[in-house]
Amino acid sequence: MFKLALRSLIDKKLRFALTTLVVVIGVMFVVGSFTLTDSLRSTFAGLAQDIARGADLTVRVDQTFGGDFERATVPEAVAEQVAGVEGVDLARPELAALNVFIVDRDGEPIRPPGPPALGFSFNPGSFFITEGQQPVAPGEFATDTVTAANNDLRIGETYQINGPLDVEPFELVGLFNFGSPDSHTGLGQTMAAFELDEAQRFFGMEDGYQAVGVLVSAGADVSEVQARLEAELGDDYRVITQEVDAAEQEEDFNQVVDIFNTVLLVFAFIAVFVSAFIINNTFQIIIGQRVREIGLWRAIGATPAQVSRSVITESAIVGALSTVIGIGLGLVLALGLRAILEVIGFPLPPGPLTLQPRTVVLALLVGLGVTMVSSIAPAIRARKISPVAALSQDFQLGATGLRRRLITGGAVLAAGVVSLAAGMTAGLDTTPTFVLLGVGAVLAFVGMNTVSPVFARPAASALGRPAKAFFGMPGRLGRDNASRNPRRTASTAGALLIGLALMGLAAVVGESVKKTVDNILDNAVEADYFIQSAATGFGPPPGFPARVADEVEALPEVESVMRIQWAFSGLSVEGEPRDIVAADMTLADDHFDPQVSSGDMAATDPLTSLALHSDSAESLGVGVGDTVEATFPDNQTETLTVVAVYEDAAIYGNWLIDGALWDSHFNRNDLAFASARIAGLSGAAGEAEQAALLQKSRAAVNEVIDRYPTVKVENQAEFRQTQESQLTAIIRVIQVLIGLSFVIALIGIINTLSLSVFERIHEIGLLRSVGMTRKQLRRSIYWEALIVAVFGGLLGVAVGTVFGVATALALPESFVQVVAVPWLDLVVFVVISAVAGLLAAILPAIRAGRMNILDAIAHE
Amino acid sequence: MTSSPTQALAVAAQAVAASKIYGSGDTEVRALDAIDVAFEQGRFTAIMGPSGSGKSTLMHCMAGLDSVTSGQVIIGDTDLTTLSEKDLTLLRRDNVGFVFQAYNLVPTLTAIENITLPMDLAGSKGDTEWVDEVVGATGLADRVKHRPNELSGGQQQRVAVARALAGKPQIIFADEPTGNVDSNTAAEILGFMRSAVDQMGQTIVMVTHDPVAASYADRVVFLVDGKIVDELLEPTPGTIRDHMTQLGA
Ligand SMILES: Nc1ncnc2c1ncn2[C@@H]1O[C@H](COP(=O)(O)OP(=O)(O)OP(=O)(O)O)[C@@H](O)[C@H]1O
Ligand SMILES: [Mg+2]
Repeated sequence: MFKLALRSLIDKKLRFALTTLVVVIGVMFVVGSFTLTDSLRSTFAGLAQDIARGADLTVRVDQTFGGDFERATVPEAVAEQVAGVEGVDLARPELAALNVFIVDRDGEPIRPPGPPALGFSFNPGSFFITEGQQPVAPGEFATDTVTAANNDLRIGETYQINGPLDVEPFELVGLFNFGSPDSHTGLGQTMAAFELDEAQRFFGMEDGYQAVGVLVSAGADVSEVQARLEAELGDDYRVITQEVDAAEQEEDFNQVVDIFNTVLLVFAFIAVFVSAFIINNTFQIIIGQRVREIGLWRAIGATPAQVSRSVITESAIVGALSTVIGIGLGLVLALGLRAILEVIGFPLPPGPLTLQPRTVVLALLVGLGVTMVSSIAPAIRARKISPVAALSQDFQLGATGLRRRLITGGAVLAAGVVSLAAGMTAGLDTTPTFVLLGVGAVLAFVGMNTVSPVFARPAASALGRPAKAFFGMPGRLGRDNASRNPRRTASTAGALLIGLALMGLAAVVGESVKKTVDNILDNAVEADYFIQSAATGFGPPPGFPARVADEVEALPEVESVMRIQWAFSGLSVEGEPRDIVAADMTLADDHFDPQVSSGDMAATDPLTSLALHSDSAESLGVGVGDTVEATFPDNQTETLTVVAVYEDAAIYGNWLIDGALWDSHFNRNDLAFASARIAGLSGAAGEAEQAALLQKSRAAVNEVIDRYPTVKVENQAEFRQTQESQLTAIIRVIQVLIGLSFVIALIGIINTLSLSVFERIHEIGLLRSVGMTRKQLRRSIYWEALIVAVFGGLLGVAVGTVFGVATALALPESFVQVVAVPWLDLVVFVVISAVAGLLAAILPAIRAGRMNILDAIAHE
Repeated sequence: MTSSPTQALAVAAQAVAASKIYGSGDTEVRALDAIDVAFEQGRFTAIMGPSGSGKSTLMHCMAGLDSVTSGQVIIGDTDLTTLSEKDLTLLRRDNVGFVFQAYNLVPTLTAIENITLPMDLAGSKGDTEWVDEVVGATGLADRVKHRPNELSGGQQQRVAVARALAGKPQIIFADEPTGNVDSNTAAEILGFMRSAVDQMGQTIVMVTHDPVAASYADRVVFLVDGKIVDELLEPTPGTIRDHMTQLGA
């Protein structure tokens, strides 16, 4: 039987190649994503060790939640205390700040496209000067060798540097390698280092340090010194060893890698899932074609078990071979992704790719598993083929009855929908939510696929009606062939359906978010100018110097400026970290309209005030006048009074405090955003006067902004435009990524078409013999593909729209308030899938046209 | 129209020194060996000969389904060896009918759609009266809306002959059209072909192994090793059998 299986594979090289290709793609994605992220992890582990190497021990404030840059500082007195502990040879205060941009000779800020722009106090433990000297005086700085080389920064020249507070000129006095003396360890970040006191002043962190690095005296025992320091400093501080420091850094990096890994795995999962459809389809067709052959085996004495074993063996060979190829190509994919990362600004240090045993096991599970599972149903069918089948001409494999399909498929679909709904609404933790959503999506698709053959025949013949009406016999035959085997049409379309459904979902959710933003911009925006970082790209924009806001505020044309800062996990209430926004509470209701439903933001003492979105207020069970115990990342707890509850979370999120309260608990001084109102605008009579005022004020504001190369200002119309185009870009990127599954679906269509052409060889020979031209034959195959693809497209878009609307409804109101369906996009998707179908048909059509007529006729 | 063997009739199709060679060197097979044969208009010719003698090859080459290695094949005034692939296809569609031994019909099309298939491919309506007449002659007028799998083998073959007739081709080739059916059914198909020749003036060339089938023809041509070795006019099963035994001996 093994011989037979092998023989049938060799005989049908093309079919084998196409099936293999599909599995290879699935395996490739899995291997590629794991290999890349494993390699990233080991790279980051190295980087973390380099970062930690500068000190034997590090002293930090103990932090229970919040980010590194939100941690409370170590006061100067404590640093001195550390220096005095026995066994401490050197206590070196360390300082770091985000968003410190060096401006190059041409006035362009050097902006790493993804990684941060960092400022430091010069730390001889991990910054190794290669040229020049370390900064020792005010007005001096050093930068890393890579940033200098990439931007042609030269020692002795003076550069403007954008700090958290202001832009100031500094002279470049030295270049250094970070992490090791011989080579710079970097992931694309830019680094500017200053003398310690100068850094404190420039960063606006005069009252302390982020950490104190400790070098122990020669001969002293590190853990003894650690114990002494812990005893001396008490519970408010942590004293950590180099290893722990490295491990913690690594963990921070790994959180990023994990997100990346998850994204890649989602694509791998989609790829595998789509592949499974195609593989299953292929085996079904192959068995269908081999009915006579199998009948013959049975007639000459092969047992049913032997027959199904041969089918399984065939799939095992396909699975094993494609797993091996897939692993190879997965490594290539990882290299490719690394190259892409480098192009978009995350250069990774070159290193070997890490292929872990876990990855190989997973690849086997996917490659072998999917093929084997996909071939079980066909194997069972094959087993049922009777010897008599060998004799009859058009024996059809007993397809599942359509009614039974409707019932079981409907049940699976319903289960999927319930699971999706539960995932979206139950408000569980991330992991169970994703599991519910994933399982729900899979069930829904499988259910759809089970049910869809019921519609396939009527849909295909309806879709094919114009083909028949306007394109004569070729159109007619294309339509007939598309509706000939509804199960096949449905599952070929199914591969397309998945990609399209996901694209449709993204489109609907995206459009809803866009419309929501539109609405907010229409209704909530009151200010006239918006100031933020000029950086473009994905993710939250970096901060900008606070000085900009002061200067704009000082303009006579400007009535008021509101400064906004924010932090993820910036506040802990009832033991849970909350994202917060800080703004001038007196202006908050004036520059934007968050739809305050009770209370008044401007009413009370800003240092004890808190404004809440109604959702948060409800879940805490508080209202205006009630108090809330809030802990900040610097470990201090304050009793805040709720002064207002608002309904629109789009601008201020769920938790809003005053800038003054922020300043007393956070070390970050740069601004995330600022808005300005023009004086006298509301009092201005007539549009002409308003326009004149706006023009005059714009000129004044521009004059300030022009001095700060990292900052930009927008009026209402521009602001709106930017918001929209950013959203559109994000949605497009997501859709393009999902569109990758199209490529797989394309192979699926090629596969199915070639197989069904192969199945009809005799018929094609016949048509050619009675005078069908090659062109007509090709055209009939194009029609068939087109009908199948449009069927898949319509179904996918319909499913995607339903899921999209459901998702949009389930999303929190701060995200989506209006559910909108982008009809044009959906039509475009169907057109895209039609084009994909046509592309897929080219090869099979050409092959069919080239077939020798007599050979074809002789073929049964 | 009746024909007398002495009267010279217009030629519908002919092969001139046509050879077909498969393979080369040791494996060379000369399926047609410089064959000269002409098929006159309005006559029913049967081709007989032992298995492997080149009958099918001759049919295929004459119908433009295959090409000869040397020599000429002429249908009407057209030399097939000069035609492009596309023109050959159009010639098959418009001027030649072909009936295979079995599976002549496209399974997704009904009987009547199969019959009008060449015309539909040409995008023309054809001569509908003529099509009706042909359908009437098949005796299947009430079953034309059926699909091939709902028809018996004999009915399917009659539909196939009807398709060949429907386009009024210059000539119809049939390669063992009764090879797959019992003798009663064969008689139905052969009777239909005979009447097509007699009443519609069709020209038909048919390959068969069966002397009874061949006796429906006006003329029997005997083929051995790719050459015409004998010929018989006004055949009867008896005379055919005699010739066959002579040849076999
Ligand atoms: N495609 C081919 N390649 C090689 N040889 C071929 C091919 N087709 C036919 N032949 C050979 O040409 C010769 C004539 O074949 P053909 O099919 O014309 O015979 P036939 O008279 O129709 O036989 P039968 O009565 O068995 O149908 C045979 O020897 C055959 O083996
Ligand atoms: Mg033959």
